[in-house]
Amino acid sequence: MIPEITGERTRGFMIKKILIVDDSPVSVKIMKSCVPKEPGYELLDANNGQKGVEQYKLHKPDLTFMDLTMPVMNGFEALQEIIRYNDKALVIIVTADVQVKAIAKAHELGAFTVVKKPPTKETIAAAIIEAQKTLDERN
Amino acid sequence: MPESKTNEIISAEETDILQEIMNIAFGRAAADLADFIDIYVILSVPYIKLLRAVDLPRFINTEVKDFDKVSVVEQNFWGKFKGAAFLIFPAGSGKKLINMLDGGAESFESDPIFELEKETFREVGNILIGACVGKIAELLGDIVTYSPPRVVIEKSHRGVVPDNLFNPDNLAIVLRTLFEFNEKNVSGYLFIVTSQESFVWMKEALYKFLEQYE
Repeated sequence: MIPEITGERTRGFMIKKILIVDDSPVSVKIMKSCVPKEPGYELLDANNGQKGVEQYKLHKPDLTFMDLTMPVMNGFEALQEIIRYNDKALVIIVTADVQVKAIAKAHELGAFTVVKKPPTKETIAAAIIEAQKTLDERN
Repeated sequence: MPESKTNEIISAEETDILQEIMNIAFGRAAADLADFIDIYVILSVPYIKLLRAVDLPRFINTEVKDFDKVSVVEQNFWGKFKGAAFLIFPAGSGKKLINMLDGGAESFESDPIFELEKETFREVGNILIGACVGKIAELLGDIVTYSPPRVVIEKSHRGVVPDNLFNPDNLAIVLRTLFEFNEKNVSGYLFIVTSQESFVWMKEALYKFLEQYE
């Protein structure tokens, strides 16, 4: 059951813009299909870590989904760059690298949370809700 | 093989789905190995190649040509997903792997190192190949059975793959991933090859995998 994330918010900041960083077009397609249709998120994507960082700086998304194993710049480096640019950035790692050390490293570098591939509509919706709660608490 | 001919057999999208599935499967295999030995496996983006079966041995020889001698774990698997897996390490990896497994304990000159190396490769191969092939099959809705792993230590990189693996007139898909064991200076390749017999099923299974997201 996908938790409800729709509804009017009278205060606080709502996630609107989401960036997906993954080198696999299929993976981006899967991620886009897993993001809930409501309340109509604006979805952006980038196909490697470097482009992800550039897109992040350009569009300042409210939430970023980031793969780890990518050419040009991997997800760890991109995460580091984004957190250096904005230490409040909400970056969710979506990865096939499910080694305990990889997950720990992602957390150390400032990832908000880690979702294992393949993602599901439920895991992505739950991650967005958690990110939204964090934003609500901050505001 | 001309690019257009290749595209008729496996499209860019199918290749991409297969690449993502290999990525997920090898990630799971690496995690299983890291649970078994205290290491961190550095993963790379998998590579998918369609080629004539007759060109397969030469292709793999070329891929591992930087390794003078190699140790190989070979395992066949059967299901709708059918083929063979080759885990290839450069010469000298065996002793490093033994060192990882026994936590750096001193070995004695009388130890049967050759047998120990074989056992170590067999164990590592069993985990990496079994978990990776098993996960690919699972994601594609299949179950596979395996032959016992065959281990060959320190042989020339030529002839790693037998010429008669598949019918030479057929085609083969190669899934390749390069990995590195962090801090231990060991790297290797995993090749998973599947023959033309699996193509029809595989194409359907790839789209079924994607359909669950539509």
